[in-house]
Amino acid sequence: MERRKFLGLGAGILAATMIPAGLSAQNYRETKVDVWKVKNEKGKPGVDAAIKALFGTDKVEDGKVKLKAPDIAENGAVIPVTLKAEGASRLALFQDANPESLVTVFDVPKNGIPDYSLRIKLQKTGNVVAVAEIDGKLYKASKVVKVTIGGCGG
Amino acid sequence: MRIKAKEKDGITTAKVMAKHPMMSYAEAKKKGKKANFITYVIAKVGDEVVYEASTSQFLSKNPYLKFKFKGENKGKELVITWTDLSGKTKTDKKKIK
Repeated sequence: MERRKFLGLGAGILAATMIPAGLSAQNYRETKVDVWKVKNEKGKPGVDAAIKALFGTDKVEDGKVKLKAPDIAENGAVIPVTLKAEGASRLALFQDANPESLVTVFDVPKNGIPDYSLRIKLQKTGNVVAVAEIDGKLYKASKVVKVTIGGCGG
Repeated sequence: MRIKAKEKDGITTAKVMAKHPMMSYAEAKKKGKKANFITYVIAKVGDEVVYEASTSQFLSKNPYLKFKFKGENKGKELVITWTDLSGKTKTDKKKIK
């Protein structure tokens, strides 16, 4: 993303005040309405389709992304997740356990650090997938999170 | 919103807990209520955007968010705004320690 760095140097202040400029700073719920509707169906997880809808490609390599999530979540309503990827301009979180696949999209601003934590809900055991866009390429990490209802592990 | 923001060695770590029921479509259907959840969160220091997230119904109730950003920001105000599905917005600010 050399172009971004170049623009950041000269017109940094101006770009920052003109927030919805399209380079970053967008509300994906308004600009990419369909991504949020990609479903996880029985036997047909929607993660790859959601990745394609959001990033424009489903070509993703493993690596470069660190995803932290519990192996077993006693409470499926509050699952702590951390995702980070050095050099990422965008990070997104998906899963295949809920009706729709996309959970959150982070645009990393100029001085932002791609290291985010949040708490999510999973209806049942499933895969949580973090995808990072680094220099125009996509990388991912995924983790199986077991969701128990009623407290009995496994 | 409960906000904690601390800068150390040029990196500010912010922890936010927003108050919101985050009622998903499935939950709303069960309760006969309208789904409503935070859909967008933006944090700024002055005019600079330091964090931006487009979110879904799959964040936990009273969502907890943690993020980091660079800069000499001690003493400056971190301003956080969220928007929800109903169009409501809420803004809170906290001085970065």
